[in-house]
Amino acid sequence: MFESILSKGRRLAGIGSIAAALAAAPAMAQDKEPIVFGGSIPLSGVFAFAGVHLHAGLTDYTSWINGEGGINGHPVKYVMEDTGYEVDRSVAAFKKITGSNTVPVYYGDSTGFMKTIASELNSRGTTLMSGASFATALTDNEKYPYQFIPGPSYSQMFGIILEYISSQGEGGDKPTVAFVYSDTEFGKDPIENGKAKAALMGIEVVEEIVTKPGSVDVSAEVLKLRRARPDYVVFHGYVLSPINEFMVQMRQMGLDTQFMGTFWSSDKLIINKMGADSDGYMGVMPYNYYDSAEGGPMLDALRAQAEKSDPDAGYRPTGYMQGWFNAMVWTEVIKRTMDADKELTADNMAESLASIKDWDTGGIIGIPVSVQDMSFPVGRIWRVNAKEGRYEPVSDWIHLD
Amino acid sequence: MRIGDAKQSYEADEAIWTSSTQKIWLAIFLLALAVFPFFADSYLLYMGCLVGIAVISTTGLNILTGFTGLISLGQAGFMGVGGYTVAWLSLNTALPFPVTLLLAGLLAAAVGILVGLPSLRVKGLYLAIATLAASVFLHFIFAQWESVTGGMGGLSLEPAHLFGLTLQSDFEMYFVIVPLAVLMVLAAKNVFRTRIGRAFIAIRDRDISAEILGINLLRYKLMSFALSSFYAGVAGGLFAYFYRVVTPESFPLSMSIFYLAAVIVGGMGNLLGGILGAAFMTLIPEVLNLLTAALTPFYPNAPIFMSPMLEIIFGALIVGFLIFEPHGLAEIWHRIRRFFSLWPFRN
Repeated sequence: MFESILSKGRRLAGIGSIAAALAAAPAMAQDKEPIVFGGSIPLSGVFAFAGVHLHAGLTDYTSWINGEGGINGHPVKYVMEDTGYEVDRSVAAFKKITGSNTVPVYYGDSTGFMKTIASELNSRGTTLMSGASFATALTDNEKYPYQFIPGPSYSQMFGIILEYISSQGEGGDKPTVAFVYSDTEFGKDPIENGKAKAALMGIEVVEEIVTKPGSVDVSAEVLKLRRARPDYVVFHGYVLSPINEFMVQMRQMGLDTQFMGTFWSSDKLIINKMGADSDGYMGVMPYNYYDSAEGGPMLDALRAQAEKSDPDAGYRPTGYMQGWFNAMVWTEVIKRTMDADKELTADNMAESLASIKDWDTGGIIGIPVSVQDMSFPVGRIWRVNAKEGRYEPVSDWIHLD
Repeated sequence: MRIGDAKQSYEADEAIWTSSTQKIWLAIFLLALAVFPFFADSYLLYMGCLVGIAVISTTGLNILTGFTGLISLGQAGFMGVGGYTVAWLSLNTALPFPVTLLLAGLLAAAVGILVGLPSLRVKGLYLAIATLAASVFLHFIFAQWESVTGGMGGLSLEPAHLFGLTLQSDFEMYFVIVPLAVLMVLAAKNVFRTRIGRAFIAIRDRDISAEILGINLLRYKLMSFALSSFYAGVAGGLFAYFYRVVTPESFPLSMSIFYLAAVIVGGMGNLLGGILGAAFMTLIPEVLNLLTAALTPFYPNAPIFMSPMLEIIFGALIVGFLIFEPHGLAEIWHRIRRFFSLWPFRN
């Protein structure tokens, strides 16, 4: 208990040092006008488990880029407010931050917020937005011209998973698959596209199960899966439960089904909560894990900055990587726009974003990436090695066309 | 010093504004509301609109729960009916904005009557559960009736138009939402000067006695549900036009609890309480955020620490009100008024 308090104290001291560095950054950097990264960040509420890490990733990136001289000599200032993961508060934070700062780029904490703010974003034409959402809807350029996804959309994640599953067939036989998803906008997002893609690839979807997010009693659904006997079960729309319930019960029945999930259910929470039972679980991840064996100049810089800001934090979750990568894309977009001698308007920045082709992310993503439909349709399949307590890659990087 | 109001007729006793002091302050308040948008920034205007919508919905719930004594956890569902009605009508018909808003209120009222039917048999916690079930059912319809509601993805609206103006910005929406909130509160105030409003209060105080006095419980309970749901429907309609997107997740169960808490914190059975409760519940998280912002220059980690703390402080404030001021903010307001009315004497 005491150690835990002590460790938290050290961590907070670490966070304090980042903040001090942040405060000192403008002085250390240049006399040019600062560029503001704005954010509606869910530090409290149901998404806080990820929000604190997203915030840490954005904060650390800001410190790092200021240490590197800012963006074309402009220091970066990160201005955020907690939203409790509530749309009305996210909008309030957006209005407050954009009302008192010139904000070219902004972090949105949910699909609901990003959809809600879209009309205002479109009429303002000043700000480019990305955030925690991987919703397929945001790839609609007509409706959301100033919003992008810092990775693949959920439908693209399903596409990557299905590419992997397809490659696992033997003797011309395609494996079968079942989709298990939550009864939410988040859960239903990729299902129709996933089914269409599966049909196109000749993969049979033998069962489709909808549950409440966080369900515990799934024995009836498990029986359905036992009857359907899919080779793979793909979960979506959950963070942990009921994935653990499905896996444990199906394995107890002696089924050799493999289990897969998307971004928000592919972090260490599943390993920490399930222990040895998590072994073999697979997830699609667009970024290298913090503790992966991969390297690269930016990935090394990220690890060094994370270590510097909080030496006791240890492993940094995928939310941290996502926050960092978001800020990296913003920087690249702003840099390209400035280099082209254009104003930082949403149109110009969206144009710069669309111009990203074969971009080397310095190891955050293992291959050069290109923007397609306001997203980065790339990812890799990773499998849990419960003994080592981490994910290990089982596929090459898959870039969807 | 004003020591009282001598009322020499029934009309004077029934009057909404009983003194010239009250009228002057009300005029100042309305004037302040009218000029507020010209001085407020985008953030304050947004908060003003949010409070306006919350006031309408809370007033509706106050009619049902505070004045008629029927606990409801269905307010978010009724707001959803209103929100989806204006969204669907604006996308599929050429009806003008005020008509869609009126139809939103009427459809919500019709749904309210259906949901209110169990109130004839059950009350208290049982009724709360019945309305909760209705709310879940409505949520299911919002999520599953894809051809009408757009399913989980919801519906996006074009901005409302009124007298040739496009109501796109918070500034423009403010001049629709706030006057409507004032009118609807005024209408509610008038309801309680009529037989209908008094019947509601009689039912709340003792339904059996009310029935013996000749009040038709079926009629008046359903009327209360209809009226309350009408308010919720209009609030939901404004919500839809304000955010220009409605999804099933726009109207979660927590929203019903929010409005019930606003009624309780403000003061049940008191229209002023509903207004104060709505403003308190909407603004307190923002005030606490300002506190965090004020602390950040001295303590840069304040957002990390304060964010979870804010929820605790928010909860503690509500519990504190329930324990120390069960009559809500309205009672505090009345005490302040009494103090100034009787000053320099102690009340």
